[in-house]
Amino acid sequence: MATATTPEAPAAEARFDRVATTTCGYCGVGCRLETRAVDGRIVSIGPALDGPANQGHTCLKGRFAHGFTRSPDRLRTPLIREDGELRPASWEEALDRIVGELERIKGEHGADAIAGLASSRATNEDCYAMSRLIRAAVGTNNIDNCSRVCHSPTSFALRKAFGLSGATGSFTDLDHAEVALLLGVNPTQGHPVVGARIKQAALRGCKLITIDPRRIELADYGEIHLSPRPGTNAAVVLGLCHVVHRDGLVDEEFVAARTEGYEAVEDLLAGYDPVAVEEITSIPAADLEAAAHLYGEAASGSLLWGLGVTEHKYGSEVVQLLCNLAMMTGKVGKPGSALLPLRGQNNVQGSSDMGALPDTYTAYRSVEDEGVASTFEAAWGAPLSRHKGLTIPQMFDAAVAGDLKAMYIFGEDVAQTDPDTAHVVAAMESLEFLVCQEIFLNETTKYADVVLPASAFLEKEGTFINAERRFQLVEPAIDPPGEARTDFEIIGEVSRRLGHEMGWESPWDALDEIARLTPAYAGVSRARLGRHGLQWPVRPDGSDSPTLYDTTFDRPGGRGHFAPLPYKAPGDAADEDFPLILVTGRILQHYNAGTMTRRTGNAQLVDRDVLEVHPVDAERLWIGDGDKVSVRSRVGRIEVEAKVTDRIEPGHVFTTFHFPETRTNLLVGQSADVNTSCPEYKVIAVDVRPISEQPSFVPVLADGD
Amino acid sequence: MSRVTVDGTPVEVAPGATILEAAEAADRWVPTVCFDERQAPFGACRVCMVSVAGSPKPVPACTTPCRDGMEIRTEEATARRVSRAVVELVLSELPEPPAPHTELAQVAARLGVSGSRWSGAVHAREDDLRHPYLTLRHELCISCGRCVRACDEVQGAFALTATGRGFDANITAGLDAGFEDSTCVSCGACADTCPTDAISEVGLVAQLERS
Repeated sequence: MATATTPEAPAAEARFDRVATTTCGYCGVGCRLETRAVDGRIVSIGPALDGPANQGHTCLKGRFAHGFTRSPDRLRTPLIREDGELRPASWEEALDRIVGELERIKGEHGADAIAGLASSRATNEDCYAMSRLIRAAVGTNNIDNCSRVCHSPTSFALRKAFGLSGATGSFTDLDHAEVALLLGVNPTQGHPVVGARIKQAALRGCKLITIDPRRIELADYGEIHLSPRPGTNAAVVLGLCHVVHRDGLVDEEFVAARTEGYEAVEDLLAGYDPVAVEEITSIPAADLEAAAHLYGEAASGSLLWGLGVTEHKYGSEVVQLLCNLAMMTGKVGKPGSALLPLRGQNNVQGSSDMGALPDTYTAYRSVEDEGVASTFEAAWGAPLSRHKGLTIPQMFDAAVAGDLKAMYIFGEDVAQTDPDTAHVVAAMESLEFLVCQEIFLNETTKYADVVLPASAFLEKEGTFINAERRFQLVEPAIDPPGEARTDFEIIGEVSRRLGHEMGWESPWDALDEIARLTPAYAGVSRARLGRHGLQWPVRPDGSDSPTLYDTTFDRPGGRGHFAPLPYKAPGDAADEDFPLILVTGRILQHYNAGTMTRRTGNAQLVDRDVLEVHPVDAERLWIGDGDKVSVRSRVGRIEVEAKVTDRIEPGHVFTTFHFPETRTNLLVGQSADVNTSCPEYKVIAVDVRPISEQPSFVPVLADGD
Repeated sequence: MSRVTVDGTPVEVAPGATILEAAEAADRWVPTVCFDERQAPFGACRVCMVSVAGSPKPVPACTTPCRDGMEIRTEEATARRVSRAVVELVLSELPEPPAPHTELAQVAARLGVSGSRWSGAVHAREDDLRHPYLTLRHELCISCGRCVRACDEVQGAFALTATGRGFDANITAGLDAGFEDSTCVSCGACADTCPTDAISEVGLVAQLERS
């Protein structure tokens, strides 16, 4: 590394023939990276010392997991299905096939028989282009992105409570927080650089409250850890609010001056005393009280949550309850007091901000809003539908029902990552025409009629938006391999051939259009983003917003909204046939569907999914460490290796979904968030039993006397 | 704020700022080896020596706080002689000169130190190449402690430890079990900060061998 006092840094870089500064494409932290390449291959990636989110640090995915970009498996040419097999084709042939089929289906069944998916891994400009392709070139609002299956509940709830769909503060708030409360999030695994920041903050004295069915690593550095039963987060937060209310820890002044609807919440809280909450959650009443006091009495406190909150039947309601807790204690909009949802994929914030959603244009403005729709109509020169389109789960249902005929999926492996795999596969098989735009063949491309070779994040330019609402520049470290093209180029070309010319030379033209048509991003430009990015809203003069709501909330009337939402049972529950509750999640070494990380040295570090089982359950079920076990839910069955650990509570099991051979999502049913259809990946009743012929664990036989 | 001069240039620095920070503000170069702005100053290597008016001997810039009115000279002869001698001693233990791109090599070059006047024992080659990404070449370790502090203060994995004394001082991952069998999370912060490539990356080492 070069200190500020050693100007020789450029000499050190002379070893490489191409260097760039870009933004990481793994997870929503948004680390700024320095990339170094030789002869078209990345040799090394290091952290940018001035990266606002990563401050000169990165994790093993951002730093090391780049080898996939030149994997022999990379798609280097378009593929077309012929006689049941995918065969190489020219771009001309592939594009003709796509345009021909989409026009045929639109002619026979109407534009609403076609749907597109943008990708939370792609740039804002890619997602915006995809949204424009589907809305303007095809003529339907059937556009969605994979934030549907992770943080759509966060977006929904934050808009309801505070007004805007994003973190209220920045990661720097963690440096000023007396207390950080982490609910359903495991940052040292899922968001490693923020995890490291939280750990360092804890070592400096920030008190951590960790709440998760598993004892996460940060619990070892915290003041108190609570292990609720999966699916009972609402009761936990209501219990915390109850104690805050009962013990006089409410910031009455803040509640009176800045919020509305508190009375209804006060009435509701009466039913959630710590004893009642212990009944529901199994958290000892005294621990809940201690946690409430720790948070309530602190001068500053931040709330962090992840998919452990959102991927539930009532996930969006729990986020609203967290907003209640923050407002009750006046801990929002102040230094050290931020609500920080840790977003899953690198651009899960941006893909939604860009309007790759069936109901909104950029910045969450409704497709039903005449003013907004006519603005885009004028800008794009095409008639636009005023009706909401289909969400991802609705697309699958419509495909199975025969109403949806074609899908154009870009950068998402729905057959591996979406819930109820059997249903997804049925949907894919029901389609008349499926386009996948990908960097590798995957589970979904097995059903594709055309596969287009696209680009990884290290091969494209544009912008991402991280979990702090920060637009950051993405610059190519290398070029796409073979005949592969950037997603932006491909989408623009398809649109052109469908008769809708977007008129952009590069993603930067698209960014300018986004800024021009979106008041919340008005001041965003490539030049202004520079090395440090800008946090939206960005005003026309280029000033940005590290902290939201310091004086007023972004709702009509300017007040924060309390939602009186009671606890309700999750969509699935353990019973005699399915006595254990499975929680699914991720690990440090792999990223989501694993398409990228499985093709790097990370696979040497971890090469399989495992099922975590508590020693008590393992003994009862005759399962030993390393045994192959069968996991059966109400909708599917998988086989996976067991790992016996006391990080998990008895009655619960945990596994990941990184390896396609495991197909974890076969087990997940149709239960989903009531407001946003985000699937309930976190509460699945299962039956686990050993299947190896010679189980390593043989129980001791009783004495014969 | 404190007002100091660095080589005659007046600068204002925040209370508690170090001489190194003042030099940076004055755009004056101070050689460093054990310093990394991501870590708390350590003051171990004694390469960042500068002179301060009224002080009988050179002081380390990275750990000495500025006092109001301080007159700092970055290239004063005695201080610079100490810096050079330290770098020379460090180089004398290495079995081969550090690769030109490394921070140590660059500091040495800028100080005009090439090779060492002192011949004697050099570290025997001992390379740990078990990890898929990280290489640990003990013979290049100069015990500056940056990797250990990166692991502790930046990542918080506590996987690296300083071992041995004197000539045998070195670092170890997971009590010699190697990175993979330690609490290492493979973040690479150690390789990123290492000024000699004692810890580096498999890809970079291969690249170096090719060129």
